[in-house]
Order: sequence, then structure tokens, then C-alpha cells
Amino acid sequence: MLRAFSHRHPFTALIIRRSVVGVVTLFVVSVLIFGATEVLPGNAAYAVLGHSASPAELHALERQLHLDRSVVDQYGAWVGGIFRGDLGRSLANGTSVWSFTEARLVNSMILVVLAGVIGSLLAVALGIAAAARKDTWLDDAMSGIALAVTALPEFVVAITLVILFSTVAFHVLPGVSVFAPGTYAWSGPRRLVLPVASLVLIIVPYIFRMTRAAMIEALESEYVELSELHGVSRVRVLLFYALPTSLPPIVQVVALTFLYLAGGIVIVENVFAYPGIGQGLVNAVNARDIPVIQFIVLVLAAFYIVVNIVADVTVLALTPRRRSRA
Amino acid sequence: MTKDTHDHYTRRDVLKRGAAAGAVALGSGAFLASPRAGYASADEESSQHPKRGGNLRIGVTGGSTSDSIDAGMYISQVSGLMIYQLYDSLYAFDKNARPQLSLAKEVEHNKDASVWTVRLRDGVTFHNGKDVTAEDVAYTFRRILNPKKPLIGAVFIKKMDLKGIKILDKHTLRIPFHVPFAQFPEVQATYFYFIVPSVGYNPKAPIGSGPFEFRSFTPGQQATFVRNPHYWQSQFPYVDQVVITDFADETSQLNALSSGQIDLAASLSGSSIPLVKAAGGTAQIADGMFYAPLAMRMDVAPFNDIRVRQALRLVVDRKQMRDLVFSGHGIIGNDIFGYYEPTYDHALPQREVDVAEARKLLRRAGHTKLNITFIAADVAAGALRGAQIFAQQAAAAGVTVNIKQVPVSTLFGPNYLHWHFFQDLWAYNPYVLNVENDLLPGGIFNGCHANYPPYTKLWGKLTRTVNPSEQKDIAHEMQRMEWDGHASGNIIPYFIPTIDGIGKGVFGLTPSKTGNYLGGFDLKTVWLG
Repeated sequence: MLRAFSHRHPFTALIIRRSVVGVVTLFVVSVLIFGATEVLPGNAAYAVLGHSASPAELHALERQLHLDRSVVDQYGAWVGGIFRGDLGRSLANGTSVWSFTEARLVNSMILVVLAGVIGSLLAVALGIAAAARKDTWLDDAMSGIALAVTALPEFVVAITLVILFSTVAFHVLPGVSVFAPGTYAWSGPRRLVLPVASLVLIIVPYIFRMTRAAMIEALESEYVELSELHGVSRVRVLLFYALPTSLPPIVQVVALTFLYLAGGIVIVENVFAYPGIGQGLVNAVNARDIPVIQFIVLVLAAFYIVVNIVADVTVLALTPRRRSRA
Repeated sequence: MTKDTHDHYTRRDVLKRGAAAGAVALGSGAFLASPRAGYASADEESSQHPKRGGNLRIGVTGGSTSDSIDAGMYISQVSGLMIYQLYDSLYAFDKNARPQLSLAKEVEHNKDASVWTVRLRDGVTFHNGKDVTAEDVAYTFRRILNPKKPLIGAVFIKKMDLKGIKILDKHTLRIPFHVPFAQFPEVQATYFYFIVPSVGYNPKAPIGSGPFEFRSFTPGQQATFVRNPHYWQSQFPYVDQVVITDFADETSQLNALSSGQIDLAASLSGSSIPLVKAAGGTAQIADGMFYAPLAMRMDVAPFNDIRVRQALRLVVDRKQMRDLVFSGHGIIGNDIFGYYEPTYDHALPQREVDVAEARKLLRRAGHTKLNITFIAADVAAGALRGAQIFAQQAAAAGVTVNIKQVPVSTLFGPNYLHWHFFQDLWAYNPYVLNVENDLLPGGIFNGCHANYPPYTKLWGKLTRTVNPSEQKDIAHEMQRMEWDGHASGNIIPYFIPTIDGIGKGVFGLTPSKTGNYLGGFDLKTVWLG
């Protein structure tokens, strides 16, 4: 009966299946992170009081923070809180986890979305252009530059942009992207330019190369040859015949890129002192601030799961053959 | 950065540029004033005449989400920088690291220094307009020594007889101690005894009597303070607002300075000095008294043999290490601390590298091929580099040093008193305090597990000795024991220079011998021009 259902409603079935697996994954991740933080020497009480604290003071704070309960108890208390909608309070300074991390989450999202969308569109456009002019000097130049850029570490790309546009060559853009706590990054667009540009440079080469390869393969297929013989214009061939066939691998690569961005922005955030979850997570680990660590890691895991689901559904939508499997 | 406008000064308010530092010598209670006949040209003015107004933006590293602006929670330099703007204490360190009267106007003690009588300055108010009284001082001590939640400074004043404190009048109180406490003034100048109001003190939105008032604070990110218009040192502060921003590392901190997004970058490493200059700023280098010793546990093999300890002290080429790590800045260390204190024994011979002697000592101790592990951490600028250089220098004497790097939070975590050979870090505190914490049995930071009864006895005597020249004699005896290796397992190759980056158009910052950055946290003298 399940097979019949998934036969008739392939999208819904896929989403349901993936979501169930996703939820289980989130649980497993949360247990792993809890365990990993416990393995680190020291706990939040140490981090807050410093090593000047006497054992008595430490135990008092540990009791207050419920760190004296068993690990299983602590985990249970935390999970219970999540289901009630209570994310808990930061162990380091008592503010609620949500108010502590909300602006950081939004700011990192801004970077991921801006860089992901701009970079994907740009890379796909360049990939199409390179495929259309395959083996010309333009194609070779673009491929060469893509290879060079992709070989550079993210840190180097970011710092090079800072040197070029902010501190040494030109002084037209801010060198760091500091925002007042709680403000969102769109309030200072100039401070977004260099971080987003760094990320775009970092992600374009991979998508560009995949687009180019997929387009080249599509352009060599029979039905494209046939449409060219029929006199369809080059532009129409590229955009309406070759591109749709190339989309599934391109979508996969774009999805992978968004997944990469979720983790990869940490370095760029670090270079630009950008108030995102990268710094938030590093701070929380140093402070052994378990509720904050858990929340950020779970958001990242959920993001991974959702992006995967969206990518798979999109690819399914773009592949008529797979939808009507016998 | 808003451009400032000229304020109208009375002649009494005009200061010569260098006088800003001298004005901190509050013992005299008088400020150096130099009446000017009239305003000079615009250029001369901007270089000599402190201007009011503006937003002073500061970049710091080493901040964390556990930072606090509670007056009694100086847990890190970042916390210290913030706390210093919001509050005052009875004494304050001047630029020479000597305690000067601050909130206290007069301080007396009885013959054996077991009872201290403090008379407060008149007319000092908290940010809410309330007077600073003796009751507030008593409350502050009770708060620090609260047995249920003692604050950081409790350990140094634990011998205070809280119940015996007597309020003599609105501005006078008598403080008895269970044992004599000759160093009460120095201890009160440290950063643990800032005075808070006895009524209505909320650490989340704190009230103090300091040059700046609390506006906002997000731990690990940013703090904003605004000028206190009724500050008791009435010509300070100059700027309208201070914004302190945490940076994850020095690179982004420097970029912010270079692109003009911050005015001061605190605590840089030596390699950043050319970058600061290239950006048109200046690097202020203070030879301060912070030190990052390589500490040996004196009760475990092989360091329990004094010959091994002395040998390891002799393999260090201190000048080479200092030059490599700090490009020639910083004072060369002699394995004892408190360089600028009156009690420091400059007559002790400066220990020089002597590989031959080190080898001899090791041979006699039976350790010709010593293999040891050093726990390193990025506790301060240059610490990791220093550790690597030490390992190379030790190899010349046949000693193999394996460097194991851990995060700072791990180094100072629960294993802190259990490491055998590790990186330690000591801020400036008066000599007696660092001795108490580091080299006495039961000291809270006694990572060396030092325990030398003659030394402990001398320390007890020192805390009861009021006469400065007698204090010097006792301290010199103690330092000889540290130097000889009986009382201390520390290798102190140098004192850490404090390097701050000052952006264009920022004036009034002067170096402090304490080693605390940004002129000893003294932002009230800074002005933007």
C-alpha cells in the first residue's frame, strides 16, 4: 500500500520519507554534540568563574546551572524544554538562547542567501557562456581563472579583497563588518559587500565548472543537434533546450554549495569580524555553553536536512522519467 | 567618527598635553593648569589642546561570552577595561604602577597596620546622583566577601574583620583586619575593589562613580558607555562615548584600525607594529609587568630536583627569545617578578644563558638526556612563539622539549594545578599578592606547588611590615630564594610589552607600567582631534 502511495504521489512520499529520516538525524546529532561537549575538559562553571574559583564556588554555580545532574538527566531536561518551545538560557551569562543567537542566525542567513544566490546565478551564466564558446580563448581563460581561485584558501581570498579595497590599494570599502549587537546586517549594506564578494568568489568556480560540463554534454546530444538543424536560434538552444537538461546536476551542485556555505562562512565571518553564528559557535564552545552550542548545531543540521530535501524534490521535478517509473 | 567642536574652556581647565598623565597623581589633589593667553593656530590647537566630544571606538581581542561588568568580576582584561570606565576604587594605580589615592582622600593605619581608617573624598556621586558614602564602601566589601557568592577579590582581603567595620561618619569608616595588612593601599588599587552603591546596584545595568556610564553591553560582542558629565575629576573624560568591540583575532582588529573603523586597537603583537604605522597610526609600546612564565611543578620528577630547575633556567637565551618574539621590546626577566615595584631587587645578578653549566647540572642530577613535555597555550601575545624558541634553545643542552598545545580554556581548566610543566600567565599585581597566589602552599594559582617554609615565613613578616625600607629588605631576601630556585619553579624570560595601536587623530593615551593595555585602561584622558 505504501508502494502504491509513493507511486501515485512521488513528491509527497519523498518529502515524508526524508523528513522522518531528518528528524531522527537531528536527535542523533543532538546526542552526539551533547556527548562531545561533555568530553571537553572543564564545564560552563569553570568558564564563567575562571580558575580563581574555589571548589565550593564552582559547585554552587554547577548546581545553579544543573551541571551536577547526570548527563542523561541534563539531556532529558534540555529535550523536554525544546518540545515546550523553551530553548533554555545561556550558561555563560543567563540570557535566553534565542535572544542571544537570533540576530547572529539572521546575519549568517543573509550572507548564505546573498552569496548563494548571487554566486549561483553568476556561475551558471558564466558556465553557459563558457560552454557556448567551448575551446575558445575565452573558455580557456575562464576555466584557468576558476581553477586558480578554487585553489586559494578562503582566508586568502577574503584577505586579498580587504587589502585591495579597504586597507592598502583602495580605501573604498570597510575592512571589517562589525554591527551593533542585535542589529541585522542589512542595516549596513556597505559592510556586506566584501564578505559577500569573498564568498561569491569562493563558490563560483565549482558551480561554473559543473555547469560548463553539464551544458557541453547537453549541447552534444542528438535532440540539440536536431533543433539546430531545424534552425532554432543559438540562444534558444542554450536556454530552452540544453539548460533544462543540465539542471539536475547543476541543482545538486548548487545545493552542495549552500551546504558548504553554512559551514564555510565561519572563516569569512572571522576575517571580517562579522556577527554571525560562526563566531557565536566558537564563543559558545570556549565557554562550554551547552544550550547555545546545541541550538546552533541543530539549526545547522536542520538547514542541511532541509536543503537536501529541497534539492532532491527539485531534481525529481526536473526529471520526468523518474516521476513516472513503472 | 564625528568631528568635534571646540569647547569653551576656562583657564583652569586648560591643560598642557603631557599634564593629562600627571593629573592622575592624585595624592596632591591638585591638577596642573597652565593658563593660556589665547588660542593659537588651528594646527597647534589640535596637537596641544584636548578637545571634547566624539565617539571613541576600541577593538579588543580575548573577549568571551562570560565577560562581565559586575564591579567585582574582573575575570579578563576585556572585563577589566570595561569595569575601569564605570567605577572607581579607594586607590588607583598611576602610570608608574604606584597606588595613588582615588576615592579615598586620607587613609591612616594603627601601629601594626591591623586597623585602617579611610576618609572619602567629598562631593563624589554615583551615576544616579547619589553621594558615595562610607556605607557604600562597607557594602562593597560585604558584597565581595559574601560567603555564599564570594567575588574575585575576596581571596586577598579574606582577613578583613567584616563585622568589625565601623562607620564613623558619612564619609569615614574604620576597617579592622584579623592580622596586620601592611599592603592595604596597593591591594585597594588592584581591579577587584571597585565601589558600588549600597542601594540599587544591578550588575546587568550597573551604576558606578567612574568616568563613563553604562549604556549597553552584549558579552563577547560589544559594550557602549557614555560620558559621565558629573565625574569628580571634572575635566575628564573628554569623549562623549566609548564603544568597545570584541574581535576574534588580531588580523580583523588590525584591518578595522587600518580602515578607520576603530580608533584604538588593544594588545597587538610585535609584528603588527609596521602594519599600524603603514596605516598612518602609531604604536604605543609600554614596558609593563605582565609575565608569562614557564612553570615547573616542584614536587614531581624531574623538576623536584633543584638542579634540573636551575639548568632549565640556564638554557634560556633571554635576550634572543625577547628579540625574536617582541622585536627588542620588553624587559629582560630574571626569574623574579614585580620589576617596577620599589621592592624589586635589581642587584640580583642577571641570569644569562649558560649551556655548559646547564649540562653540568643535568649530568649531576642524572638527566643527561632529559625528555619533557611542555603544555603550551596562546595565553598572551608571543607565548606560543616563546615556547617554540625555548624548545630549540633547550635542545642545545641535550634536553628534548615536546610542546603540547592546548586551548587556553583547557590550560586554565580543572587540570590547571596538575600540569607538570606548563605555560602560565600573570597580570600585574602588587608583589605580595602574586606571591600569595603563586608561591605559597595553598595559593589558588600555585601551579608550581611551591612550598618553602622559610619563604612562607618571610611573606607573613612582609605583610606585617609597614616601614618601606624594611619591606625592601624582606622582599629582597624572598626574591633571592625565588632566584635560587628554592621558592619558585618559574622561568621568567621577559616581561611582556604591551603594544597598542593608535589610529590617526587620537591623542592623550600614555603607557602604563602595570602592563594593562590602553594606558592601564585609562580612557578618560583620551581625546579625538
